[in-house]
Amino acid sequence: MFLHDLNPTVKALTIIGAVFLLAFVFDPVTPLLYIVWTVLVTFLFGTFKKRYYLYYFIPFTLFAFGMFWTTIVFSDTASATSETVSFLGMEFPTEDIWTAAALGLRVLAFASLSLLFLFTTNMVHFILSLIQQLKLPPKIAYGVLAGYRFLPMLKTEFQQIRAAHRIRGVNRPDSWKEKLLQYQRFAIPLLAGAIRKAERTAIAMESKGFTGAKARTFYRPMRVQWKDWLFPVMMFGMLGVTIAVLLYFGYFSWYDGQL
Amino acid sequence: MSQEVIRVEDLTLHYEERQKPVLSHLNFSIDEGENVLILGPSGSGKSSLTHCLNGLYPRELDGSMKGEVYVKGRRTDSYPAGEMAQNVGVVFQDPETQFCMITVEDEVAFGLENLNTPYELMVEKVDTALRSVGMEAYKTANISELSGGQKQKVALACILAMEPEVLILDEPTANLDPVARKEFIQLLKRLKKELAFTLVVIEHKLEGWLDLLERVLIIHEDGELAYDGPLHDHLKTYALDIHEMGIQLPYATRRALEQEWTPPYPLHIGEMPAVAFPENPPAKSAGKVLLKAEDVHWKSILRNIHITFHEGEWVAIVGENGSGKSSLSRILAGIQSPSKGTVSLHGRSLKKWKENEMRKEVGYVFQNPEHQFITDTVYEEVAFSLRHAGMKEAEWTKIVEETLKFCRLDGLEEQHPFLLSQGQKRRLSVATMIVEDQQMLFLDEPTFGQDEKSTSDLMSLLKEKHENGTTIVMITHDMELVDKYATRVLVMNEGELSFDDQPKELWALPDLVDHHLELPPREQWKRAVWKREEPAYVSS
Repeated sequence: MFLHDLNPTVKALTIIGAVFLLAFVFDPVTPLLYIVWTVLVTFLFGTFKKRYYLYYFIPFTLFAFGMFWTTIVFSDTASATSETVSFLGMEFPTEDIWTAAALGLRVLAFASLSLLFLFTTNMVHFILSLIQQLKLPPKIAYGVLAGYRFLPMLKTEFQQIRAAHRIRGVNRPDSWKEKLLQYQRFAIPLLAGAIRKAERTAIAMESKGFTGAKARTFYRPMRVQWKDWLFPVMMFGMLGVTIAVLLYFGYFSWYDGQL
Repeated sequence: MSQEVIRVEDLTLHYEERQKPVLSHLNFSIDEGENVLILGPSGSGKSSLTHCLNGLYPRELDGSMKGEVYVKGRRTDSYPAGEMAQNVGVVFQDPETQFCMITVEDEVAFGLENLNTPYELMVEKVDTALRSVGMEAYKTANISELSGGQKQKVALACILAMEPEVLILDEPTANLDPVARKEFIQLLKRLKKELAFTLVVIEHKLEGWLDLLERVLIIHEDGELAYDGPLHDHLKTYALDIHEMGIQLPYATRRALEQEWTPPYPLHIGEMPAVAFPENPPAKSAGKVLLKAEDVHWKSILRNIHITFHEGEWVAIVGENGSGKSSLSRILAGIQSPSKGTVSLHGRSLKKWKENEMRKEVGYVFQNPEHQFITDTVYEEVAFSLRHAGMKEAEWTKIVEETLKFCRLDGLEEQHPFLLSQGQKRRLSVATMIVEDQQMLFLDEPTFGQDEKSTSDLMSLLKEKHENGTTIVMITHDMELVDKYATRVLVMNEGELSFDDQPKELWALPDLVDHHLELPPREQWKRAVWKREEPAYVSS
């Protein structure tokens, strides 16, 4: 699929750029249209379990709504105009609703962009691309990769430790203090194991001739091809078009010291 | 004349935190194509020697290194960092921690990338290396999904891809089950014929290695070279010394030592005389029903399990990795609830038992002893459950002392559990599980990764416990232990119980290999002798 085959660095930079630009937009319609666009692109050009996408989206929605709600409730009412809108059985100034919606939808727009990246990018390819396109030092990059491999190991180890401690009769902490103590007990074997593992991995890596030097060849060469540029053109183009149309209809506004 | 590839001159190695040298005044050289075994007790600096040979030391050393190490006539520290990997490759012990990439092909390519191999050549070399270890079908697989044996094959492929002249294996099979171990050694034998490399092996278990290795370097506890010469001849005469170092001798040799035969000792079962076989004593008749599992299912892992355990039994659970052994033992011990069916202890469903009441009846020793430690000293570790059971201090101090003594941990009371040796850690984890006089003890691969000495210490401890009436259920891959100790054996196969009877009935099965099981050496010996005697039967 198109999104999965994109160069990960180009994808990441495009998304960072879009987030940056959206941060300066201060009307609710632009992010709203852009969310629809991003989700559409994600679903059309990406393959993943759609259900998981929804699960990931839910917390962001809650956060966005919280943002929306606190903005209207704690807004500066004195400066508001007399026009009001009824919302959830309460009267609010129109301006406040407008601002709150802009902030809430902005959060969602960021979320949908991040999820686009998250759901269509192989983390290993992303790191390899960072080394090859952005000259990230291999020392750091391969360290991160090795650590990435450790995560599932730590998870199973944590579960084992928990079961092992239960057998010893340390179960169900009643108070906060006990709970803290229990996590402290989990931490020791987990850390001891992790340090040992990390050391062994480092020795194994060095024994295979890894020196951290930047000069190296790649089994998975990450290149930037002409089709990779389609994505930024598409994403920035759509943002431009949205802004232009909204400007024409008078809905658009930049951030200009509001709030 | 064969060429010298490694020469070590007066090598002495000190670690910063230790007074005594790890290696002291070593002198030896290894020729091209030789097959060398390095032996020594734990802590004699064998792994440190590996680091010296592949140039990791002195670069990464906290301490001092004196003397010279030459590889192909050039001092190791005169090679640019990274280039040594082309000369000396190492496969390490732990299959989990020698990888840094996610998939098999990326990992094999990693070393080649470090050597700046051009792309086209790299693609070719990755394929060749994977084919040579028979793992080409797993090229795109995730390493985490492979079995331990497969991981070690991948680790070997990674090194072979770099085509080093010297291959060092640092206890490559210590964490593998016997079948995977055998496969790995077979693979090496084949590779040794196909590719020309010099082989240096560090090992604790000699079974299977002897056909491959000809020369031995023995390093003493004080880091000095004690012997350098032909392996087989030395072993045939000085097997006892090597045994006392904590090295596990081949079965035939061990047997000979036990029977106090005179040297030269046999090294293979085939060389053993046809004397009376020690038959196992008949199993004691089982006592009352203790634990009963009825129609137990768990997720898609276990199906339709019916088992009854009686007092005084010693049950071994065997089977391939992933066949559901651990899951079964956890359900039986009440750590995990079955998704269907019931497990009952003393006729009462486990669900109705209170957790702490049940723990007084059933103990469970996890594979990694460290996971079970919760306090800062050995003494507190053993005292923990008694203290929490609300017993009076005067009563429990005596029990704690007795338990420590029983597990040979007396004198270590104030040590931190994490600072104990492997064998001591294992015995401590057993101690914590028997201190409340539990009637039933589950052990998940208790001898995994343990050396000969701690294995035999542990087994004699369990044996004594068993003779005092404790029912023991242990998961193991070691058929020798099953043969020697178990009164009953359960074979798990793809989540189902496929065999449940006495061990001798299992050995008689014709399709043992299909279960990924092998005969214990005692049986192999017996059969080897039968075979030798067969013609005699015909002629008479």
